[in-house]
Amino acid sequence: MKQRGITILTDASLITCIVQRGTADKIVRAAQDAGAQGATINYAQGVGVRERLGVMGLAIEVDKEVITIIVANDQADRVFEAMYLASKLDTPGMGIMTLAALDKIATYVPYELVERLAGKTDPQE
Amino acid sequence: MSNEIRFGTFVRVATLRQDIISFNDLVGVDAVRLGDKIRLRPIDAYRLLTPYASSRLFEQARAVIPLALYLLLFQVFILRQGIADAGLLTAGLLAVIIGLMLFMEGLKVGLMPFGETLGNTLPVHSPLPVVLLIVFLLGIGTTFAEPAIGALKAAGQFVDVTTSPYLYTLLNQWSGALVMAVGIGVGLAAILGTLRFLLGWSLKPLIYITLLPLLTLTFYLSQDADLAPILGLAWDTGAVTTGPVTVPLVLALGVGIAGAAGRGDSSLSGFGIVTLASLFPVLAVLGLALFIVNEQSPQAIILAAQALSESPSGNWTTRSPGTEIIGGVRAIVPLVLFLLFVLMVVIKHKPGRPAITAYGITLCVAGMILFNLGLTYGLSVLGAQAGSLVPAAFSPLDGVLGSPLYSLAAGLFIAIGFAWVLGFGATLAEPALNALGLTVDKLTNGAFRKSTLMYAVSFGVGCGIAVGVSRIIFDWPLAWLLIPGYTLAIAFTWLSTEEFVNIAWDSAGVTTGPVTVPLVLAMGLGFSEAVGAMDGFGILAMASIGPILSVMGTGLWINWKIHRKHVRSEQRMLTSDRTPHTGLAA
Repeated sequence: MKQRGITILTDASLITCIVQRGTADKIVRAAQDAGAQGATINYAQGVGVRERLGVMGLAIEVDKEVITIIVANDQADRVFEAMYLASKLDTPGMGIMTLAALDKIATYVPYELVERLAGKTDPQE
Repeated sequence: MSNEIRFGTFVRVATLRQDIISFNDLVGVDAVRLGDKIRLRPIDAYRLLTPYASSRLFEQARAVIPLALYLLLFQVFILRQGIADAGLLTAGLLAVIIGLMLFMEGLKVGLMPFGETLGNTLPVHSPLPVVLLIVFLLGIGTTFAEPAIGALKAAGQFVDVTTSPYLYTLLNQWSGALVMAVGIGVGLAAILGTLRFLLGWSLKPLIYITLLPLLTLTFYLSQDADLAPILGLAWDTGAVTTGPVTVPLVLALGVGIAGAAGRGDSSLSGFGIVTLASLFPVLAVLGLALFIVNEQSPQAIILAAQALSESPSGNWTTRSPGTEIIGGVRAIVPLVLFLLFVLMVVIKHKPGRPAITAYGITLCVAGMILFNLGLTYGLSVLGAQAGSLVPAAFSPLDGVLGSPLYSLAAGLFIAIGFAWVLGFGATLAEPALNALGLTVDKLTNGAFRKSTLMYAVSFGVGCGIAVGVSRIIFDWPLAWLLIPGYTLAIAFTWLSTEEFVNIAWDSAGVTTGPVTVPLVLAMGLGFSEAVGAMDGFGILAMASIGPILSVMGTGLWINWKIHRKHVRSEQRMLTSDRTPHTGLAA
């Protein structure tokens, strides 16, 4: 019986984007257009900016959507900026996003791709 | 590696301009300590507010504009009639859209948090009788705050006192008592619905017990020529009451109480109150009508009405903008005071952010006033105009050149088809139906699809409205339609499972929103005036029974299909006993 193996992916980043409820679809679409593979959306509630905006804070939903997207490092900035523009984060109260490096990812990778690409990068590099 | 540039680095340099600031510096700067207000440039405020306002405006516009366009285009192209007072009508419709937008936002910001706090804390703090009393009063309060209730009063102007005096007096002199009766009905329904959550009663016996006196009274009143016209109004109130204020507020409380008793996790919790809240008011209004009959004779009412119309009313509160403003304040303020009283005195809870609550309540009142104005000048006029012109398709009307416009059969087909499409389209566009569809899809594990439910309900409402209009044209007594209709509904209820009974009976109340109700009411009244019928109510009543029958019918059909599948797979298992058991679950 064939032994099970694990395929480790490196050179990846995690984009986390917190926006108002109902806007995630549009942002995920922009991220996909910029090359992202997929996205996870969580519902959450936020505290902070609403209070500090005073009366204007009423225009901001308490309910948030948290979008997490794993991207390759080479795409990271492009996707990050596409999401920034799509979610209009340059407007007060719209949300916040982060980009962080990931050590490892493991998931299903098609067999022929593993064959072709494995060993190309040396993990110790 | 040294001669290569990473693609990512290239992209970073090539795209957006970047300013890099250390977060340490940002937090260290005195100006933006936590808790300080952020100062906004005008452009920021504009960019912040536009999506907020436009999304909410769009939500209401989507409900109003297609309906209005349908009516107007029908009038212009099929009936070939110009539109009277087009400017005022447009302004009125705009007022409806903006009014509803403000009202819904105010409800969400100002009143809903109260409802949720009440639902979560009241059952823990107070004994059951007190809780039930508050539920009852809340039911009355929310009825007064319901936007569509204003449409009933607006409809009063169109009723002719000489043909149906009791109907006239109910809608004019007794209009306060009428709304009160409806409110008491809703309050009682809320109590019963809450008890149902708490004790896990089935909805079926409650339906039988409510319908028995209801149908008996309906039959009794239909025997009296003076009283029969009231039936339409009474049954219509059921559809009017269950709107955007009553349903969420009463539900929040009911579900909270059931949750506090540890019964909140039932998949059906939340259903049933709407059903009872659309049946009990009918009973209450019929009761009020019987009371008035003992008090006043038809002749006295006619005399009083004539005396009233002769004396010009100089008081500003009884003229157009005045009544709407008073009405708006009167609808919201008692409910707010009641909620505040319960929160502060009964459960001693301090409202968290008074400024925001005040903002929400102000929005509610302003929205209600605007909506009432829009109701008077927009929706009611539009509905009445379309309703009074549609009969020109099949019968000669004064003031319509060349009427009947079509042959009798074609004209009748156009008029009834118009009603059907109106009901079907308006219901399909109702946001509440979409929400109900999602719940039902989850509840039945996909056996009853969202789209199936939406089409079943819309089909039912369309047929209901078409039947209601036909009733006015052919002058059928309403009781002849209501009694067999509800008898059939009882039979379906007997056969259906608890889930489908809950869904079907609730779907009727959920689907008649604050735009559809005034429009259909006014249309019916205009229609009945044009064909010279006794009363124009009853269309909404038919629009309520329609979806009950269509949804339960669909449910029975789905169950029969599942049952057949089970029988077949069992047979297959018997014939080949090696088949694994998985076939049964499918």
